[in-house]
Amino acid sequence: MPDVELRVPPDVQYVGLARLVVTSAARQAGMTSERIEDLKIAVSEATTNAIQAHQRVGQTAPISLRFGPTSANQFAVTIADLAADDAAPDAMGGRHWDADGGLGVTLIRGLADVVDFRRDAGVSVHMRFAVDAMAARVNGVG
Amino acid sequence: MELTLNHRKEGDRTVLEVGGEVDVYTAPKLREKLVELVGEGHYQIIVDMTKVEFLDSTGLGVLVGGLKRVRSHDGSLALVCNQERILKIFRITGLTKVFPIHDSLDEALADTE
Repeated sequence: MPDVELRVPPDVQYVGLARLVVTSAARQAGMTSERIEDLKIAVSEATTNAIQAHQRVGQTAPISLRFGPTSANQFAVTIADLAADDAAPDAMGGRHWDADGGLGVTLIRGLADVVDFRRDAGVSVHMRFAVDAMAARVNGVG
Repeated sequence: MELTLNHRKEGDRTVLEVGGEVDVYTAPKLREKLVELVGEGHYQIIVDMTKVEFLDSTGLGVLVGGLKRVRSHDGSLALVCNQERILKIFRITGLTKVFPIHDSLDEALADTE
């Protein structure tokens, strides 16, 4: 199934909408409610950071969330910003996760089954969640 | 979902009941409330999160800020939380070691440290 893309203005009032849309899609994909709670927090963290990064560098373009089920019974979400500031890619920590002592990135790493931070036009966070928590344990995902 | 905040005195403690969603958009209201309470001399605070529907790191940051604030007055900040989905984020971030977390308000009020 192709991904759906949601573009939201860099304003924190849209973080709630981003959570709602992504979790609705995951529910439709059959994700268990326990996993949806994990997904909801991780999406909130990554979206918040992307929006704050845009605000910090004065980037007015929207941030992008692409999401959808994968063939491996996972739900994938990529949240990308266009805030090109100076931090090194490996410091995705460093760049904008600092405000709350890095708690946001700690949560993303703790909740998603697979996480990858990439530096492209800005920073993009790729996350995958097993649709079924039980399947994740059986298959050893995460 | 909006954030609701209500506080009341319970003996020498102040109970702040938080409801709804605490995220980057609503957390400033919670921060202002905690600053206001401490400014008014409420140093023994119990934050009742029983009705919180959502909390992320922004909310955690505000609670940590509140804790620092009351501690500077030799006060305390305890939490009431019985929802697994919220307890989980305190565990992942190691904050279960920072805050006294109680299952119920009665238990929090009975804990006189």
